[in-house]
Amino acid sequence: MEAVSEVRTGQVPPVVPAKHTPSPMDRWWNFFISVKLAIVTLIVLAATSILGTIIEQNLPPAKYHQIYEDWAFALMNRINLFDMYHSWWFLALLVLFTVNLTCCTIDRFPKMLKTVRNPRTKLDGSLEKTLSLSDRWKKKGTISDWAAKYSWALSAAFARPKVTEEGGEVHLYAETGVASRFGVYVTHLSIVIIFIGAILGNVAGFKGYVNIPEGESVSRVPVRGGSRTQDLGFTVRCNSFSLETYPGGQPKAYMSDLSVIEGGREVLRKTIVVNDPLQYKGIWFYQSSYGQTGGATAQVAVSRKDGTPIGALALAANEPVPVDGYGIVRGVNYEENFQGNGPALQVVVEKPGKPAENFWLFQGRADLDRQRNDSVVFSFGGLASKRFTGLQVARDPGVNVVWLGCALMVIGISMAFFLSHQRVWIRLARRQDGRVEVVLAGSASRNRIAFEKKFEKIQTSVKAVEK
Amino acid sequence: MSNVILFNLTTVLFGAASALYVSALYAKNEKIAVFGSRTCLLAAFVSTAALGVRWYESYRMGIGRIPVTNLYESLVFFAWSVNLFYLVVERKYANRTFGAFVMPIAFFTMLFAIKNDSSIEPLVPALQSYWLHAHVITCFVGYAAFAVSSGAALMYLLKSKQEAAKINDGIAGLLPSCKTLDDLIYRAIIWGFPFLTAGIVTGAAWANYAWGTYWSWDPKETWSLIVWLVYATYLHARITRGWHGRRAAILSIAGFAATVFCYLGVNLVLSGLHSYGS
Ligand code: HEM
Repeated sequence: MEAVSEVRTGQVPPVVPAKHTPSPMDRWWNFFISVKLAIVTLIVLAATSILGTIIEQNLPPAKYHQIYEDWAFALMNRINLFDMYHSWWFLALLVLFTVNLTCCTIDRFPKMLKTVRNPRTKLDGSLEKTLSLSDRWKKKGTISDWAAKYSWALSAAFARPKVTEEGGEVHLYAETGVASRFGVYVTHLSIVIIFIGAILGNVAGFKGYVNIPEGESVSRVPVRGGSRTQDLGFTVRCNSFSLETYPGGQPKAYMSDLSVIEGGREVLRKTIVVNDPLQYKGIWFYQSSYGQTGGATAQVAVSRKDGTPIGALALAANEPVPVDGYGIVRGVNYEENFQGNGPALQVVVEKPGKPAENFWLFQGRADLDRQRNDSVVFSFGGLASKRFTGLQVARDPGVNVVWLGCALMVIGISMAFFLSHQRVWIRLARRQDGRVEVVLAGSASRNRIAFEKKFEKIQTSVKAVEK
Repeated sequence: MSNVILFNLTTVLFGAASALYVSALYAKNEKIAVFGSRTCLLAAFVSTAALGVRWYESYRMGIGRIPVTNLYESLVFFAWSVNLFYLVVERKYANRTFGAFVMPIAFFTMLFAIKNDSSIEPLVPALQSYWLHAHVITCFVGYAAFAVSSGAALMYLLKSKQEAAKINDGIAGLLPSCKTLDDLIYRAIIWGFPFLTAGIVTGAAWANYAWGTYWSWDPKETWSLIVWLVYATYLHARITRGWHGRRAAILSIAGFAATVFCYLGVNLVLSGLHSYGS
């Protein structure tokens, strides 16, 4: 069985000034580099995070008053328990965590780099004692002969060794998977990168929400959790919204056909669905909801007496709409079934210098309006209710930094856990009997069981070398 | 639907395997345990086939999607992963006593699964995302590893008590040594942790594509972070402070308890407290 404890050979423990009592500076430093602090912080972060899932966050105050007694409300509000993930003390915990991580890295990384750059290439007695995998045998011949042969064998079976000669002894040293040592640092760095990305997004970005009725445009968006609106710097128009359903009636897709208009020109057009947003100049538009706009509009076609069309009007209730060379038209009333004649719209027409006229238009009966004997004929096409699309709008300049951090984190953790720093030494020394004593030893930072098997293979192939 | 029949059969096989492993332990009879192993292997084939059939049937229904998108599917996927993970461990450690502690987890998961709606429903728009699929798969592979780890931790606690009392007959005699168990607890976490990390990351990516926020501190997200923090604590306590044995085993069990709460508790318990999570 392998030695279970993960003793990191080649890693120097934290420096503690041994002789004199540590200065306050040293004491602070030792506090901030300690893994004990890290463990305590991790546990406190986990424990406090639970609180925020039990106490519902960011409700309107009235709701909290229903749930809690006044004194409890006052107390909890005081320590920001209703928005705890953004409270000063939670942020302070995160800062402490980051400082701890950074100091720890500053303390350890140079040492790790040093041991990686200058590995212990010589298998001396004290090193040999710490290695659980070793073997020794004797050979006739010269040290340099065997060194050359074993060097070649080790290259074939494991990795090319570095050869050191000292005091008549020859040491071979070979290693693989040194990247495994860097995994921890990549992981820790990734956490700091993610925090930087999150801060960047909070400081330089915004999140908003906007409803755009079909056919209409927006260039400003109300920012979430505030009274501010954000200027987009361009205009977004919702050309249409549609909804697809499965045969069973469940929603299949919500789609908004959006156009980006800048300088009076359409510069981009895209149909967005949930999970497939539109992005322009770093601002993202996400399909979020939809609904019916409050007022319906009356669709009225306008033509000359001879039947040539002039245009189509969409009359919102009481909104005056001009018709060129004619006057101003307003829809003022709608009846589902007017005097038994079906749906009808009451309009008011104001012509320049004339008293206002008001009359009814019946849906689909242009012939009836012709009887008014006016210069234009109206044809009421019915009411159209408009939909609006609800969009989340976000600019987050930190999000790519966050993704970089996430990628590094997965890579770093995999490096730390799935790679193993494996080292093999061979020492050749002449003994009193005139023969060459060979010592073969090895160690791995991880997965020692697998390395034991590998070591056995190396052992066999090295020992198989003949004169 | 035939996939459901196959999953029901899987449940029976998991139950049989659990029973065989437990009775092998009590009867101290290795032969029974061998039957347990065979049952597990058969269950692996049946449940893999069931997942495949379910996938195929969803295409036939014109829905076409990986079967990892609702409670039923995620539960059976979890049980499937636990079983496979267990088979690897059994082979690697050449010891069948783990089965008595790990396979019941798969069995009870399946029992819970078959009480849920097993029909193949079309995906609502928010769930139509490759990130979601990656998210569920990575999370549940991670959860399966944690399940195996906590099973081993339970064995550790049993064994260490009896080792301390110098009892070496009875069940304790059959269990692997404390060292082996401690090692397995650690190794399973080493597999689970990267997967959980990838699961949280892909979840964040999905949220970002669907809603424009990669992290919003909702209870589910927060609980996945809590689970992650517990295992990060375990790793650091073990590596740099030399936590082994009982304390480490208890942390592993606490981690799995948090995992279960993250998966089921957030929806079942917290939604009773207030309306979200449902
Ligand atoms: C949740 C955040 C953290 C994560 C995900 C994380 C991740 C890791 C990982 C994956 C390892 C390698 C474990 C192994 O080799 O088995 C590690 C080791 C380590 N971590 Fe962290 N870490 C975190 C926070 C911290 C903090 C705040 C400190 C501050 C002191 C810290 C200090 C260390 C040290 C000293 C090691 C051992 C390095 C070595 O083996 O040479 N970690 N960490």
